[in-house]
Parts: sequence; C-alpha cells; structure tokens
Amino acid sequence: MSAHVATSTAAQDPVTGGVATPAGFRSTRLPDVKLLMWVFLASDCMFFGSLIGTYLAYHNRSIVGPFPADVLDIPLTTVSSFVLLMSSFLMVLALHALRNNDIPKFRLWTLGVAVFGSIFLGFQVYEFVHFVNAGLSIHQNLFGTTFFILTGTHGIHVTVGVLWLLSILVASYRRPTSSKDAVYLEIAGLYWHFVDIVWIVIFTVVYLVEFV
Amino acid sequence: MTTKQHSHGSVGNYILVALILGVITYFEFAIVEYPQAWLGQTWTLVLLAVLSIIKFVMVVMFFMHLKGDDRLYSGFFSSGMILAVLSFLAMIAMFILPRSMSYADAPMVQAEAAGVVPGEAADHGAGIDEATRGLIETDGRSRSAAAIADSPSPADRSLSVAAPQAANDASSYQVDTSAPAAADAAASDSQVAAEDAAEAAAAADEAAAQDEAGGAAAAEAPAPAAAAESAAVAWDEAQGLQVFTANCSACHQATGAGIPGAFPPLADHLGAVHEAGGREQLIRTLLFGLQGQIQVDGMSYNGFMPGWAQLDDASIANTLNHVIVNLGSGAPAGFTPYTAADVAAHRGDGLTPADVHALRAELALD
Repeated sequence: MSAHVATSTAAQDPVTGGVATPAGFRSTRLPDVKLLMWVFLASDCMFFGSLIGTYLAYHNRSIVGPFPADVLDIPLTTVSSFVLLMSSFLMVLALHALRNNDIPKFRLWTLGVAVFGSIFLGFQVYEFVHFVNAGLSIHQNLFGTTFFILTGTHGIHVTVGVLWLLSILVASYRRPTSSKDAVYLEIAGLYWHFVDIVWIVIFTVVYLVEFV
Repeated sequence: MTTKQHSHGSVGNYILVALILGVITYFEFAIVEYPQAWLGQTWTLVLLAVLSIIKFVMVVMFFMHLKGDDRLYSGFFSSGMILAVLSFLAMIAMFILPRSMSYADAPMVQAEAAGVVPGEAADHGAGIDEATRGLIETDGRSRSAAAIADSPSPADRSLSVAAPQAANDASSYQVDTSAPAAADAAASDSQVAAEDAAEAAAAADEAAAQDEAGGAAAAEAPAPAAAAESAAVAWDEAQGLQVFTANCSACHQATGAGIPGAFPPLADHLGAVHEAGGREQLIRTLLFGLQGQIQVDGMSYNGFMPGWAQLDDASIANTLNHVIVNLGSGAPAGFTPYTAADVAAHRGDGLTPADVHALRAELALD
C-alpha cells in the first residue's frame, strides 16, 4: 500500500506544484518528501540539542542580572505552552479532515493551527519585550544570550511553520485539493509537531526547572 | 494515505491525547506554582522530567503517527534523537568539566597555600602534568607562528618577584609607600614577615597607630614594611586572589596576561594606568565596566567588560591590589594599596561602560 501511495501522490500534486517523479520504482517504498522531512527533523534535533545544552552549560553563570528567576513567568508561559499543544491537536484534526476529503474542515483547522501558532508568537513577542524592558537584552549576560538564542530560534521555527500552513491554505483555494495531497499537509504537520515537542522540552528545562 | 487507512487514529483518540496533554501541562504548572514539601526537590525534578517525556512521546507517537508508521521514519528520527542527546552531553561535558578542573576554588587555593607559584597553579591545566603542559605549549602545528609569538611563554607566567610569593603565606601584606628604593630589601625581608605574619601585621598596625599619635615609632617594628616612615596599608591578599580567580581569570587569565587580541593584559598594565594618573580610573572600570576600543602594549582591543558593582568594596580593592602587586613585575614605585573606602567613594558615580572608556581617553594611554 505504501508503494502505491508514493507513486500516485508524487505523480500529480496540486498543492506543491508537482514534483515530477516518475511513477516507478522506490527502493524505500515511502514518499520521498516525508522521508526527507523525518531526516530534516532528526538533524533539527541535534540543532536544538546543542542550543539547549549551551543554555544549560551557561546556566547560573551570569554575573549581572536580570537572572532567570527575576523575569520568567510560569503562568504566562503555561498558557502559551498550552496554546501550542492545542495547535498540534488542531493539526491532526486538519490532516484527518483532508484525508477524509472534508475540505471546509481541513481549511478551518489549518487556519486554526496558524492562528494558535500566531497567538504563541504573540506571547513570545510580549515576553521578549517585557524582558528587554526589565533590562535583559541579548548582550546583558550569559542568560540573556543563551535564552534569546534558544527561544528565538524556536520562535523562528514557529514563524516558518505558520507561513507554511498559510501557504497550504492559500494553495487549497487556487488548485483543486483532495485527500491525494494529504502527504504534503502531513509533512507540514510533522514539522509543526516537532516544533511543539521542542517547546515541551524548553518549557520544562528553561522555565519549570528554574522554580523548583 | 487513503481514507480507509485508519491506523492513523480517530478523532476520538486525538481528543483523548489532547486532553491528557493539557492535563499534564496543568500538573506541571501546579507542581511548580504550589510546591509540595513532601515531594522534595529531587523528586519534583524527576517528576517534571517524566511528565515532559510523556508529553514528548505522546506527541511523537499519536500526533506524528510514528507509532504504526514505517520503521524507517522511526529509525531516522531516533538516530537523530540519540545524536542530539550525545551532542547535548558533549556540550555539557566540554563546558562543565574544564571549568570544574581549572576554576574550582578549592584545588587552587590549596595549591596556593602549598606554595605553588600562582601563575602555574591557577593556569588552565590545573590537572595536567608537566609533560602534557609542555606538549600543549610547544606544539606549533595547531597554532600560527604569530599566535605563538603573542602568547606568554611558560617563563612569563610564573612570578619573578619574591615578595608577593613569600607573602602568600601571610594573611596580609604591607607595601612600603614612602621608600620605594627599599623595595628589593623588603622583598627578601618579607620572608621574615611571612614566617610570623600575625605578629608582623599587629606590629604594622601598632606602628600606624603610633604614627598617628605623632611618634616616629615605625623603626621599632620588626616587619620591613613597618620600617617605613609613614603608615603602611595592609590588604587582604587571600581575598584579592580568590576574587580575581573566581571572576577575572576566565578572561584575563590567572597570570593577568590576558589573551592577545581578545582580552587585554592586566599584569603591569594596571600599574601603568595607575602611574598615568589612573588610580580612580581603575576603580571606575571595575565598578562600571569598559566598552570601546583600547590599545594595550601595541595591540588593539575592542571589547566589552561588564561592571562588577555586585562585588563589595573590599573585594574590588583587594582584586586591584592583587593585580597590581602580585601579578607581572609587581607594583610601581609609590603604589598605595586600594582600600574599601577608595572604592566606596566611587560607587555613586553612575557611569556607563562607554563613559569609563571616555574617561580612559583623558589619561592619554593609548
């Protein structure tokens, strides 16, 4: 079945404009794009692993304030974490709807994911502005540098995800879209969920543990 | 990925997973906001880690559908995860282990107490034997010729002046303020002071008191510093070394030699600044930092040093004394050790690192 899926979706593909792959042999019997996405996510794991490692290596080594406990806000970040988790939930609903050829719901949930992602980004922008007003710039101390690099990189990932989902949404109005295109929403979803699990780790390591 | 393929899960399952994820997030919040005394810190951390891993795995399994999907995906992703954990651990090891080896207070203070030359003991490779150190310092293949020429040689790193070395054993050290020509004599004589530091210090205090009373009783004191006609200023040498090691040596190196091109040298340079009328400037630099381009020993530095106002007055004074007196070729003639009161007088100056840089330009050093 997998082989069948790989060849048929790759041959005609209205969402992304058609990757011209011959409907022929795939040694992996898997959709190339999806495999590629998993490989990318594996590499992104290492990227975030190093950033989180750097954050922890410099943790408690700031000489001047503000220190993490001075500025981090657990209730606020809990809400934004919850929003991001729920956006992942909407993401699976969108994919489920597209697989069932339920295009209106697919559009609704995809828009919902983009909106929730934007809300998360709004929280992050608010947080960053608040931190800078509290005196924590990226040059202020080691905490500022490692914190902004880590959460900023994550924020850029979320931004890319929002733009990606919006582009899929726009494309669904410009071209006929059906369950055959699900693999392209699926890889966007994989990326989105990955950004979510990175935040699960950041939320615990950077925010929660600070106050234990 | 047809509509019939429902190993991917149903809406009901998704709702259940989302509900569990939300509840776990609330629990995490509650654990941190309302700490449970019976749980203890360690178990709270363990619980938070477990909850985080459960969320992580649930999203990967059910939202990313890795459970039940082709194993090639899981293979790629888990190898990425393993490499991520390894690079994470490597990062931690790279940063934490060398620090604990070279900058931990205890081994260094012990080395100092044992009479090891500070420049060697406090150097990066506290745990490295001499042969390895020799290899590191002489192996030119990994460093450019210029870098080698710029680096301080092993000989430069050890202190050549006897006085500070001997006085390391003493809790305080007196500097002759009025008879600079006698510095060499004081250096050798301070061995005596070191043998009986407490008495020497007491004698110096006594001498100072008598000076204030108008008597020229200094000559009666056994310690060489007390032989000076004016009052000698005692400072806490151990504190100077400790504060410098903990806060300054990471950039400026334990010897104060700095890193050419990156962190300016302090040894001898601070003495030069002091000579150029920069006594106050050094206090301001420590309190408020320094930002901008400077020239030291013909090399340009364009960096940023943070202010250290969080250190107390005595720590700053003794750190300056440590650098000027105990590093490089020692204090310039006529140097009076800083006191906490000197530092306190500048606490309220309210300068920025850039202001300090502007004031530095007035000294016409560069």
